[in-house]
Amino acid sequence: MSKKSIRKTILHIFSRIKEQPIELVLFLCASFSIVILFLLLLFVASEGALAFSNFGLELLIGQVWDTNAGLYGAFPLIFSSVMVSIGALAIAIPLGLGTSIFITEVVPFSIRDVIKSIIELLASIPSVIYGFIGIIFLVPAIASVFGITSGYTALAASLLLAIMAVPTIVGVSGETLSAVPKDYKEASLALGATKLQTLRHVILPIAKSGILASVMLGFGRAVGETVAVLMVAGNRAQVPMPPWNFLDPVYPITSVIAMQMGEASLYSAEYSALFGLGLILFIFTFIVNTTADIVVRRDGKIGGRKK
Amino acid sequence: MTETTKERVVFFALGVPMVMCLIAFFWILAILSSGAGTLNLSMLTTSALQGGLFEMIVGTIYLLLGAAGVAGPIGVLAAVYLVEYAPSGKITRIIDQAVNNLAGVPSIVIGLFGFAFFTTQLGLGRSLAAGWLTLSLMMLPIVIRGTEEALKMVPPSFQEASLALGTTKWRAITATTLPSAAPGIVTSVILGIARVAGETAAILFTSCVLITRGLPKSPFEPVMALAYNMFVRIVAIGDPAESVFGIALVLFLIVAVFAIIAIVIRTYYRKRQPWLR
Repeated sequence: MSKKSIRKTILHIFSRIKEQPIELVLFLCASFSIVILFLLLLFVASEGALAFSNFGLELLIGQVWDTNAGLYGAFPLIFSSVMVSIGALAIAIPLGLGTSIFITEVVPFSIRDVIKSIIELLASIPSVIYGFIGIIFLVPAIASVFGITSGYTALAASLLLAIMAVPTIVGVSGETLSAVPKDYKEASLALGATKLQTLRHVILPIAKSGILASVMLGFGRAVGETVAVLMVAGNRAQVPMPPWNFLDPVYPITSVIAMQMGEASLYSAEYSALFGLGLILFIFTFIVNTTADIVVRRDGKIGGRKK
Repeated sequence: MTETTKERVVFFALGVPMVMCLIAFFWILAILSSGAGTLNLSMLTTSALQGGLFEMIVGTIYLLLGAAGVAGPIGVLAAVYLVEYAPSGKITRIIDQAVNNLAGVPSIVIGLFGFAFFTTQLGLGRSLAAGWLTLSLMMLPIVIRGTEEALKMVPPSFQEASLALGTTKWRAITATTLPSAAPGIVTSVILGIARVAGETAAILFTSCVLITRGLPKSPFEPVMALAYNMFVRIVAIGDPAESVFGIALVLFLIVAVFAIIAIVIRTYYRKRQPWLR
């Protein structure tokens, strides 16, 4: 055997040996997300389960949250989270969907990227800065527009959340809109349909589930948002009177955790109650995100082109 | 009403939300830049003990680079597995689902987990290292998704050419796919950095303190960060919001720089690499 071919054989064997461990390393890295998710559930749930065994259903339906009195009824907090998020969606859905349809269907290609980049920058602004802007601009504005003494209200939180949810909605729904096969669109236009008719009868039906998913993801984002909401929501653990009164202060779950975790001593009742809240939040967003995922997957099949 | 007029009316109505989004963006810029007067350059290099921002800025950068150091390699390798190796079966779907779900976990829950696991269980305490690990969890899905996208955009013919020359799969990937996807991968990491640069909830209980004497000397010491400082000063201490204008501005600039770099790299290479179009 010549020297060259020996070297070649060795190299070949070596590369075969190398190949297997590399695949294993790659696989381990990929499974890391599962491991983390599992650990996350394990830790939050084991602490949170303690709260449920301590306080039982009271934690879900109890009306009073007062840590000093040892009362851990999270209903007003859960209500606050849902209320603020629904308010945010009511603003963000028309804003986000309008924007993404306009960008993909109307705006000329050359400036499309610029506008998309700006929306992306909107998503990059940290929530603490949104909260800051809320305090110096939005809160006083709401107080003077509605003639109330304090602008720290559910409305302020919803408005901030709406701006923060728009990029999510635009991003995901825009993706599905532009993934609609061009042939469908062209076929419709060739038959003499206007752009609007094509949009209504061809593009939107195909992109329907992607759009629905974008709204759900936006909802999940809004429910889980912490800092910005905390800074403007007023933080009073009470169901507003009447319950649809957006000019009352609220105290969403995320804010409670952020505010009270620092003072709770390790493994105290308060500590476990806060993890119980974290568990509620985790399960809620998990369900929302998984449903959105399933919806998108279904859409991938209908749309014809797998992404 | 004819179809054309109807079309114009509807499309005009759809344009309104977009314009509102743009207005909101520039409005935010205007509000932030109105505080530029409170900032002077010497504050950037003055210690926090003398009212400057030095330790906060460097602390924020420390946190971000460390988190990117953890999430970057793991995320890129995970994406390589998912795109190039994963058999399209159940396991892959579960991994995919897990990445999506991790992306959707609220930052405050990540913070709770970081506190329970890294800070308490692993005994890292309130430290830079705990912050790195916690933030890297938030970065990971962004890096994985971005890298996946970049890898998928490389035409399979590149790798096939390499394989046809008798290379192993890993060699083909490192020689053709990864270099071609490099700009996209870098973009995804930078975007990940931009996304967590202003993250507050995740580092609230895991790594930050209001004031330190100088910079942390080891990863096991607590650290100062711009976002944390803004938050605690306004919410816990009750300082007027105007007093943190300078911090807000610096934080925004850091985030904007990262985000714009990512966007520019992406746009530039999309033009340079013809197969990306």
